Order: sequence, then structure tokens, then C-alpha cells
Amino acid sequence: MICSTWINRFYSFVLVISSTVIFVQSDVPRPRGVSLSKASLYSPTKDFTCFDGTVTIPFSYVNDDYCDCFDGSDEPGTSACLNGVFHCTNAGHRAQNIPSSRVNDGICDCCDGTDEYATPNICSNTCEELGREARAEAQRLAEVHRAGSHVRLELIEKGNKRRNEMAEQLSQLENDRAEAEKIKAEKEVLKNELESKENEALKVYREAEEQERQKKAEQEKQVLVVEATEHFVRFDANNDGLLTIDEIKVVNVFDKDKDGQVDEEETKYFFGENEMVDKDSFIATTWPLLKPLLMMEQGMFRPAQEDEGEDRDVETADTREDLDTDDLGMEDENLDVDLQQEQDGHEEQELDLEQSKTYDDETQKLVNEASEARQQLTDAERTVREIEANIRNIKENLEKDYGLLQEWATLDGQCLEYEDKEYIYKLCLFQKVTQKSKNGGSEVGLGNWGEWAGTDNKYSVMKYTNGMGCWNGPNRMTTVNISCGLETKLLSVSEPFRCEYKIELETPAACDDSNSTQQQQSHDEL
Amino acid sequence: MKSLCLILVVLLALSGSFGVDRNNFKSCDQSGFCKRLRAFKPERSQYVADFSTQMLHDNMFFLDVNMVDLESEKRTVLFRYVLKVSGLVDNTFRVEMEEVNPLYPRYITLLALKDSPIGDNLKVISKKDGKLTLANTKGHRVVITADPLKIEFLDKNGEVAVVFNENSLMHVEPLVTKQERTDENGEIIPEEEGTWGENFKSHHDSKPRGNEAISLDIGFPDADHVYGIPEHTDKLALATTTSGEPYRLYNLDVFEYELDSRMAIYGAVPVLYAHGLKRTVGVFWHNSAETWVDVANIADGTVVSSLVNLVTGGQKRRVDTRFMSESGLIDVFIFMGDSPSDVFRQYTRLTGAAPIPPKFSLAYHQCRWNYVDEADVRGVDDNFDTHDIPADVIWLDIEYTDRKKYFTWDVEKFPHPAQMVANLTAKGRKLVVIIDPHIKREAGYFLHEDATEKGYYVKDKDGKDYEGWCWPGSSSYLDFFNPEATRYYSERYKFENFPGTNKDVHIWNDMNEPSVFNGPEITMPKDCRHWKEPQEGVEGIASYWEHRHIHNEYGLWNIRATHQGMLDRSDKKYRPFILTRSAFAGTQRYAAVWTGDNAAEWGFLAASVPMCLSLGIAGISFCGSDVGGFFKYPEAELMTRWYQAGAFQPFFRAHSHIETKRREPWLYEPATTALIRDANRRRYALIDFWYTLFYEHSRDGLPVMRPLFQEFPKEEATFTIDDQYLLGDKLLVRPVVTAAATSVQVYFPGGDTNTLWYDVDSYQPRVANGYANIDVNIAKIPVYQRGGSIIPRKERVRRSSQLMADDPYTLVVTLDANNTATGSLYIDDGETYEYKKKKYIYAKFSYTTEEMTYTFVNDKATYPTLSWVERIVIAGIKVPPKTAKLHQGDKQVALQMTLHRGNDVLVVRKPAATMAQPWKITFSY
Repeated sequence: MICSTWINRFYSFVLVISSTVIFVQSDVPRPRGVSLSKASLYSPTKDFTCFDGTVTIPFSYVNDDYCDCFDGSDEPGTSACLNGVFHCTNAGHRAQNIPSSRVNDGICDCCDGTDEYATPNICSNTCEELGREARAEAQRLAEVHRAGSHVRLELIEKGNKRRNEMAEQLSQLENDRAEAEKIKAEKEVLKNELESKENEALKVYREAEEQERQKKAEQEKQVLVVEATEHFVRFDANNDGLLTIDEIKVVNVFDKDKDGQVDEEETKYFFGENEMVDKDSFIATTWPLLKPLLMMEQGMFRPAQEDEGEDRDVETADTREDLDTDDLGMEDENLDVDLQQEQDGHEEQELDLEQSKTYDDETQKLVNEASEARQQLTDAERTVREIEANIRNIKENLEKDYGLLQEWATLDGQCLEYEDKEYIYKLCLFQKVTQKSKNGGSEVGLGNWGEWAGTDNKYSVMKYTNGMGCWNGPNRMTTVNISCGLETKLLSVSEPFRCEYKIELETPAACDDSNSTQQQQSHDEL
Repeated sequence: MKSLCLILVVLLALSGSFGVDRNNFKSCDQSGFCKRLRAFKPERSQYVADFSTQMLHDNMFFLDVNMVDLESEKRTVLFRYVLKVSGLVDNTFRVEMEEVNPLYPRYITLLALKDSPIGDNLKVISKKDGKLTLANTKGHRVVITADPLKIEFLDKNGEVAVVFNENSLMHVEPLVTKQERTDENGEIIPEEEGTWGENFKSHHDSKPRGNEAISLDIGFPDADHVYGIPEHTDKLALATTTSGEPYRLYNLDVFEYELDSRMAIYGAVPVLYAHGLKRTVGVFWHNSAETWVDVANIADGTVVSSLVNLVTGGQKRRVDTRFMSESGLIDVFIFMGDSPSDVFRQYTRLTGAAPIPPKFSLAYHQCRWNYVDEADVRGVDDNFDTHDIPADVIWLDIEYTDRKKYFTWDVEKFPHPAQMVANLTAKGRKLVVIIDPHIKREAGYFLHEDATEKGYYVKDKDGKDYEGWCWPGSSSYLDFFNPEATRYYSERYKFENFPGTNKDVHIWNDMNEPSVFNGPEITMPKDCRHWKEPQEGVEGIASYWEHRHIHNEYGLWNIRATHQGMLDRSDKKYRPFILTRSAFAGTQRYAAVWTGDNAAEWGFLAASVPMCLSLGIAGISFCGSDVGGFFKYPEAELMTRWYQAGAFQPFFRAHSHIETKRREPWLYEPATTALIRDANRRRYALIDFWYTLFYEHSRDGLPVMRPLFQEFPKEEATFTIDDQYLLGDKLLVRPVVTAAATSVQVYFPGGDTNTLWYDVDSYQPRVANGYANIDVNIAKIPVYQRGGSIIPRKERVRRSSQLMADDPYTLVVTLDANNTATGSLYIDDGETYEYKKKKYIYAKFSYTTEEMTYTFVNDKATYPTLSWVERIVIAGIKVPPKTAKLHQGDKQVALQMTLHRGNDVLVVRKPAATMAQPWKITFSY
């Protein structure tokens, strides 16, 4: 775009005769830097027309070290055109096209050294040697491919087998599920039946209990009102029936974080957005918040764990004020267990509580039967869930792309390790990639199975995405480049870009015969 | 590279905000002397000259000045000073004022001046009415008024161009010993707070010498604007500071520095120029201590009388300034101009110009924190070739070392540095590695053990090795004031001492403000001690310099030692390339400077232009910004525009932070990669033009990158333009620095002389007529070649500049209204000092309608270049010649020509004249 700016814009030409055409010594006489296939476009007996057709020049202008064509076609053998191409035959090895800017720059780019003709002795012809090496390498690769493709056939066979097995498993599981669903339905009917009997029997007890509880609550509430009023009056320094922010600022107990002052955050905690509260709202809102703090001050209550909600603190304080601190501790432990347990666990606990009560024999029997029915239903439900999980799992695997011929199927879940100076990397195929520091520390996820991502051959690259987030950056991801090898192993792991890892994987699964044939063909062109 | 401590990085990253933490850096109010002096606004100056003491010695004039008690009837002399006025060559004066018999010596900056200034004779031409007049041999005068002291510098027309102490702000705080003083009642007078110690955040400055600050007001009658005192992020033309913070000069590692700010950042060059329609003058405040500068431009309505007092009378144009430094003595050079080029030259005449850089350093540099290992370096190197993008240098940031121990390699990641370098040099490329001045305090590290044993480290206030925190963790800092330490450090650069390096490995000195993560303002405490030549009977406070005295100069001492080491390592055969982050007056003699840790934001791209212009007029022409931005990630458009801008700035390097996404040119979409390739190719095509500009800078000391007003000093509209600039006097560059631009405003200067500006892409000429709207697309960089100029290009862009050395030239001639043009070309081997032995070509091109000539300015100097002329493009031709003939030696060759565009662009095809000999082309009609 730059350089040769003039030439990109102007179109007129003056014809001059001169004679500086350089030919290469080869079977077909042609200007330097021209490939055999283009030789016919350069005829010394005619004027030369640039390939783009825009300009015609005397043939003597071809390779005269001055760029006349916009497309650079008049200077195949010099560095005159920025966009030109120089062809080296490289007899004995692969032919090559290099940019004209590499002609006569002092660096040997072509193995036959023809690109540095201006200084004849700087480049030796290494094509024979390179060609030999390349052919040997191609030979080796071909052999690896051949041997690998046998292993691959086994993989294909096993893969298909595994797939079939999974398909069978799936249909078996689906039968099992239908069976289990049926049992579940039966158990549910049974449970409902027994529970209604149980409820009937327990009704009497519950009503009595409820009355007791209401009575107790009423008492407690009265105690609370008395206590709250007492405090309200004490805090309400000017006795105007309103408690203002200024008034609470001097009361230590409102200093929730114990930093020596009652700041805005604290007043907001107690008053919400209000500037002041009257007695009723003090009792309803502020007091429940304040009470635990007061108790804490008096050593009757310990501060809540950070991960526990405020509501629970309050509730506990309200209802258990008459209990001593040891009991409170135990209650907390129970609650913690509760939080971790699933719903059915919770139910069981309720049952335990109920069972700890004493009923008459008749009632007790009904309760026991109902409990048994509940337990059976829970078990039936669990069985259904387990079967469904298995089905999902197998379906997921069946949906995974294990290659056109299932050659990757048996490799699913196989884990391979690679160690460098600092880390141990682990690739579990179709699962995830992890990194673990040799100096300890936890495992870092570098990505979970994402997709095949090769450009020409889809199955030549795997992507593992959405690994652990990078500090101040994206989630880690890993690209796995796959090549043919006799065993499945990792050749290298690197992090070429921040949080983007690259793994070189070798496996017979990639030893595709059709690929190796192609490679063979390209080498034959030598 | 990077700045500040990782902890801060973490904190800022977590909070997700970008920007400087101002709390880490002092405002004037937090800097004891600035607060003290800014409040010092006497109605009448206490300084009075005593003409009876006058003495003239060649170019030096001496006079006693007394600070008197104006309250007392007899005007008691409180302190005595001696004033010295020197006449210097090239229309320059120097004024120094020091206490008579100071308690301790005051530090005079040691490295800023290139050589001792050369004197120009002074004579006293009159003394009457309390005024004494001196004159130099060029007709400039200095008028000294005795009571109160005022010093006026008169231009050749006898008009006041610069005036000192007109606003009574001259002050030299006398050095005193700490003792209790009592008033008449025997009560102890409390010391003013901060006199014997200051606090900033958690840091205490012990101030053992007490207060020793200096202040001077310098007025510039008839000036429209003042410029200079880099490094700041605001406009080129300095702003009035009356209602805000003064400009601060204190080399600091400012993490995520902010734009449009007068805060101090990495560099401090205390030179200031005043320009107006009448004249251009300048002052160089020769001081390396923390300095604050107030500016009050009378044209700014906001200026209140605090700085501009009634003395200014009815003048419409005037700028007042005031310099305040924490220590040192009043030592000011005055440049009488009278044009911008004159003052810029007068300044570099004192502090030196940049020597001719090695040619590769003017090409493209690829850097990142960090290229992680040898394979990474190889991959980057190869990718430039794969994508056909020229590049000359790959850089290694701190991670190449063995755990931040400089002069060592991480043997796991860089086991074969010599081989790695050889891979690069095989393609004409170079390597630059970083060497920071902080030294890891680790047992077994040779540098630390040697420095500890031999006492080469800077000492703390108690005389023990100072320990700070930097990249390696606990670190100490070499004290380059100790000649032994400098010699030792220089020797580390020897190839045998730094295995893996050779002449093609160059050096980056970063963090040399110095950056100290846990120090006050992220630098060294001011009460640290530097080496001073031991003297018989001198001990205690007078036996060392405090860091406060030398702070802004520390980095210069660092790069000077590096420079010496790099010269010595090749027996002074090869030119070193050094990049430094901190800068001071004189830095240009050793190193290039970049604008530090910027960010991938349009604002930072835009700021790179005024920042480099400002550094350029302050002597530091070799300037650039991190292309792409250091922090954050540049999206394609910003990256493209930054490459396009960087290609036309002197130092052209892409760089990025370790935590950002990789952004080498090929990692963008192919269309963006192509645009970056195009930008780089433009740079390489002009590589010999750049090289010639830097050669000419080494001779004339003029900025390479020039503000418009330098070349068009009488054109008022140019005075504040800092979003476009000139390269030499030939190319006008207006980088696109905004997103989604479809057009930009370009100012075309020189309307009164019918200057023509040719679009370098189309050769379309445009007659200068102020602002014009220019359409741009993403590929367009508005660059114009001045009519009347000739620019050499090399259109065969190769992998690296070295590979292009023998390539032919295309000469682009753009005609002025008189159908003439001139240009120049410098050629040498690009890397050695052989040019000092006349192994170079410096040639002039001249074009008239009759002939075009290529002649050597110094015909004793030659260079056997293999390059030749492949093409001459003559744009703006009115009557094309019929024939052209080349004359070189005995040879005469008829040349082919073609006409292009609207028949006004003539291309001479392949003259094939060698550039090793003069030639001439004659035209006939």
C-alpha cells in the first residue's frame, strides 16, 4: 500500500529498448524466479504484459531491477517489487515461493541458494540434504501412521462395542425406570393412606400442643413488651416518647461494631431510614435487633457466626431467652446439620422429634406405620433418581462426538499427566484439564470438555473451556493439538497466552489412514 | 515497562478502577517548601545589590547582594549573597546566586551540562541611577537594578525579554544550624513546623540541613505562551497555574498516571521557553532537586494579581513564571533566542544533543512484559516473517532474569541466550534486555555481595545501606555518585560478565526514578545519602549529598554508567542503544525516553504527541509511547491508529503489561494485521529519512519532532497546536487519535509564503490556508510533504532495516511555488563510530527546473555504500522536461521519464546512479 506508491496510481509508459534479461539455467529457459508453470507467460520474443493486464513493457524490462507492474509480475527475480514473488525450484526438495523482499537480502531462504544470486558464495545448496531428511521424516511418519492405524482400528472396534453396550445399558435402564416409577406410585398411595390415619389420631395431641404454645407465646410477648418499654424509657433521654438518633448515639449498646461510636450505618441498622422511632415501632422493630446485643453485653449470648442470617439470630434470641448458653450452642449445631441435609433428612428429623413424644399405643402404632410408609416412599424416589442420573450420564456420553468411527470412545475418561518444572498437568480426555503446583496448593481447573475445534480436520484439535477464572482476566481454557502416535500421551503443555493453555497430544486415535495417504502424496511431489 | 508494586496492582485490579492514586503523591501543600514559598509574597524584595562590590573577569561579572531587614531603620543586612552573571556564546547568559560562606556546600547539578559552557565577553557599559548595564558581544544587555534587586535581559532592540525578581519572589533560604532561638523576653521561639523534619503519610524526612529552598520569579514580556518543563501529561503550551497546583518536577513512578495533569511523572527537565510574535527566549533552571513551577499568563482571564503585579502595566502579552526548588542554588541560563529554533539550539548547546543512534533503534521494536522463554522469542521473531511485517528488535522485560537478579538469566526459560541472540541477528535483528537499578538483596548474588562489601549502595539517613522494596523484593540501589560503584556497574556490561550478550544486545534501564515501592511517593527517601568526594576535615552533614539534592538526576547517573559500560564492552567500537524511563536535562546524550506506563485508551494515544513534543523541545528528541498502551487491551481500531501514529514518532515500540491479552500484530483479524503491516512498512520506507533527521539533530541540536510554531514562529494559530507536528522541516503529521474518525482537522501552516503541502499518498498538493477538514478512513494517516523538499525513501521494505542497507533509493521531490526543492541524506554503517573518522556521506539534494544535484556537504567524508537511485518522483511539476541526462563521474546516461497523475508528477525511471559519488541530472525542455 505504501512504497511503490507512485506505481499504484499511474498508468502511462514510455517504451525503451534495453537488454538485461537474466535467465536461470534450467530445462525450460525462463526468467529468474519464475516457476515452470508460469514460464510460458514470459516470452522473450514479445513485449511483456503484466499479469493484471494493466501495463505492457518491453521484454527487456523484465527482471531489470525496476518495478513496472502493479502486481510485481515484471520482477519475478529481483527485489524491485514489494508485492512480488520469487520462485525457487529447490531441486531435490520442495519448491518454494518467497516474497521478493527476501531476494538478495543476505539471508539464504531457498535451499538451492538461488535467492541470493547477487553474492554467489554465501549460500550453499542444501536441498539434497534437506530433501533426504524430509523424505526420511515423511517415511518415519508414514510408518508411525501405518502402525498407529492398526491400533486405531482396535480403538474403533472397542469404541463401537462400548457404544453398543451403552445403548443396551440405556434401554435396560429405561425399563428399570418404568419399573421403579411404578413402585414409587404404589408407595405414595400407601403413604398417603397411612398418613391420613395418623393425622386423625394425632389431631388431639396437636390441638393441646398448640394451645400450650399460644399461651407461652402470649406470656413471652408480655415480658418482651415490659422489658422493651423499660429500655425505651431509659434511652428516651428527653422523655418525649420518641427515640431519636441523637439519643441513641450516646448509648454504648447501639455501637454494634464496638468501634467507640454509633455511626450512620449503625443507626440505619436500628432505625432503618427513620430519624426517630416511637415506642410501638421500637418494640416491634428495634428491640428485637437490640436485645441480642444487650444480652451479649451481659455475657448471656454469643455473637452470631458471620455466615448465619440475622433473622435466625433474632428468632433464637426471642424464643430461647430463658435457656442458658450451652443449650443455645447445641441448638446451633443442630441447625447447621439441618442446613446441610436434604429435604427428606429434614422430614426424618421431624419424625424423630415426634417419636420422642409419647402417645398411647394405638396412636403410636399408626405413627409407626406412617413412618415406615414415608421411608419406603423416600427409598423408591431415590431409586428413580439414581436410575435417571445413570440414564442422563449414558445419554450424555452417547451424544458426545467420539469421532466418525467412534475411535475416541474408549479414551473418554482416560487421564494423562505431564510434568514440567513447576506443575503437574492432567488431561482427562473428554472431561477436564487441571494443573497442580509441585509446591502444593489446590488443583486449578484449566478447562472442561468443550468441543472439537480443528479447522481442516475437526478431530485434530480439542477445546476445553470455562476453567477456573483468571485473576483479573478471563476463564482459563486449553487447546489440545492432536497428532498421530503409537501411544496416547502428552508431549508438552505450555501457556502461550495468559490463561490459554496449549497441550500437544499424541495418540493412535489420530492415525487416520486417509490422512497419512495425503501426506504421502504431498511428499511424492518432491 | 511497569510501575509500582504488585500489591497496588492487585488492589486496583480488584476494585476495577483505573487511574492514579493521588494520595500517594504530594500536592504543593504537602511539600513543605512549596507550601512555604508559595505563601511567600512580599510587597517588596529584601534583596539589594551592592554596586560597590562589582567585579568583572572576562565573561563573568560578580556583585554582592544583601538580604536586608526592611523593617529596621538601618536596613540591617540579614544574609549576604554573591551574584554572578556570565556571558556565554550563542546569545546565552547565566545567573548564579549563592550565600557568601554557606554553612555547607550546596549541590550544583553535575551531569546536566555536556561541557563547561563557553564564555562570551561581557562588559559594563553603564552604571547610573542605581542601574548597572552589561552587554555581551552580540548586542544583548543585562540591566541590574540595585534596590530592590531586579535583573532584566534586553534583546537586540533594547526591549526587555526576560526579567528576574520583578515580582519580588527571589529567595534563598539561608542554611542555619539547629539551635534554640529566644526572643527579647527569653522565650524560646518555636521553630516553624517542618524545618527540621517533615512527614508524608507514614514517611518521615529527617531534613538534617533544615530549610534550604530557593525561589525566583521570571517574567517574559511580550510572550504569548510558555512551553517546556516536561514531563507532564497536559498540553504543550503551559497553562496558568494560579488557581491550582503548580507544575511539579520530581521523577516519580506514578502508577496509572492521569492525563491533562501537572503532576510530576517519570521525567523532569527544567527548561522553559517563552514565545510570542516578537521573539522567543528561554531559561534553564539548573537544579536537580524537587521543583515546582507556577505559570501565570496574562492572557488568561483567571490570572489574579498575585503573580502578575502592577509592574506589567498595560501589557497585553506577558507570561510570568516562578521556579521553586527544595535545595541547590539559584543557577539559571537565559537563552536570548530570538527564534524558537535558536532557543532550542541554545539549550542543546549546553546540555548536548543526542548522538547518532544505531540505525536499528529508529526501526520497529516489539516488546512485552514478558516474552516468556526462548521458544516464545523465536515464535514472535518467526511470526513477523510469516506475516511479512518488518521488525528490528525483540525486547525482554524483567522475567528473563533469574528471579530479578540483573545480569543473570533464568536458566530454565533462557538456557541458551547466545543462541537466541544469534537467531535474531541472523535476520539483522537485535535484542534489548532490561537492567533496573535496584539490586536484589540476596546472599550469594554477586552484585549484591560486591556492592555490600565495597560500599557501593546508597546509604540511608544513618549511613547504613538503604533497603527498599522493588521487583526482586528487598533491594538496595547502587550509588553512581561513587566513581568506583559506577566503574563496577559499567563493567557488568562486559560480554564476559553478562554471558549471552554481544554487540547486538542493547539495554533498557527502567525504574530509575528510582522506583521504590515502599518509599515516600514510591521513590527513595530524601534523606538518603550519596557519595561525595572525601575531603580533609569535612565530616558530618557536609560529607555526603542527600538524595533530595540529586533526585531528578539519579536516572541520568544510572544511564551514564550503562552507556560507559556499553562503550567499553566493545572497545568503543559500537554505538549503544539505551532506553530510560526517568529523564533529566542531558539524558538525551545517552538514551531514548518513552512516556512510561500508559494505557490502551484513546486519550493516551492523543497525549503521546504533546508529551513527546514537550520532551523534544527539552532536548529529548528520541521519544515515543508504548504502542497499543501498556495497561489494558487495545481493540483493533485503537491498535491500528496507535501503530499509524507510532510509525511517525521517533521511538516506535509496542509494549504491554503481563496481565493483558497478547496483542502481537498477527493476533488481530487479518484486515487489522494488514493495516499494521502497512504502518510498519511506512516507517521502514522512511528509515533513511529518520536516520538523516537524527544525524542533523546531532549536529544542530534541533528537535526531530517539531511543534508547528518552531517552523512558523510568526503564525499565531500554530502557537497552541499540539495534535500535529513536523518531522524535521519536511513532513507534516496529523495522527488520527479518536475513535471512528471519518475526518480530521489539519492545520496547513505557511499560508503567507504560499507553502504547498503534498499528501504523501497521492502527491495531491494543497496550498497552505490554515485549517482544513481532511477525510480519513481506517487506512489513512494524514501526512504531508512540504513543497520545496526532497525526501529519500527505501521502497524495498525487508525483514529488518539492516537488510535494507544496500537497497536503492526513491527520491520524492515536492516542488515549492518557485519550482525548486532541497533535501539531505546521511549514510554510514549504522552501528559504529567510524563516522567520526569521516566514514560517512552527508549529502544535499537540490532541484531546479534545470538540474537536480546530489552533492556532499563534506567531500572529505565518504562511505562506500552500494545503494543507488532507482527512481525520482517529482511532484508538482508544471512544465515537464523533454529529456533528462545523468552525469556521474565520466558517465553520461540518457534517462527515461514518465508523466503521471494530472501530468504534474514526473517519474524518472532508474537513474541507477550510485549514492557513493555525487551526481547530477540535467533537464532540457
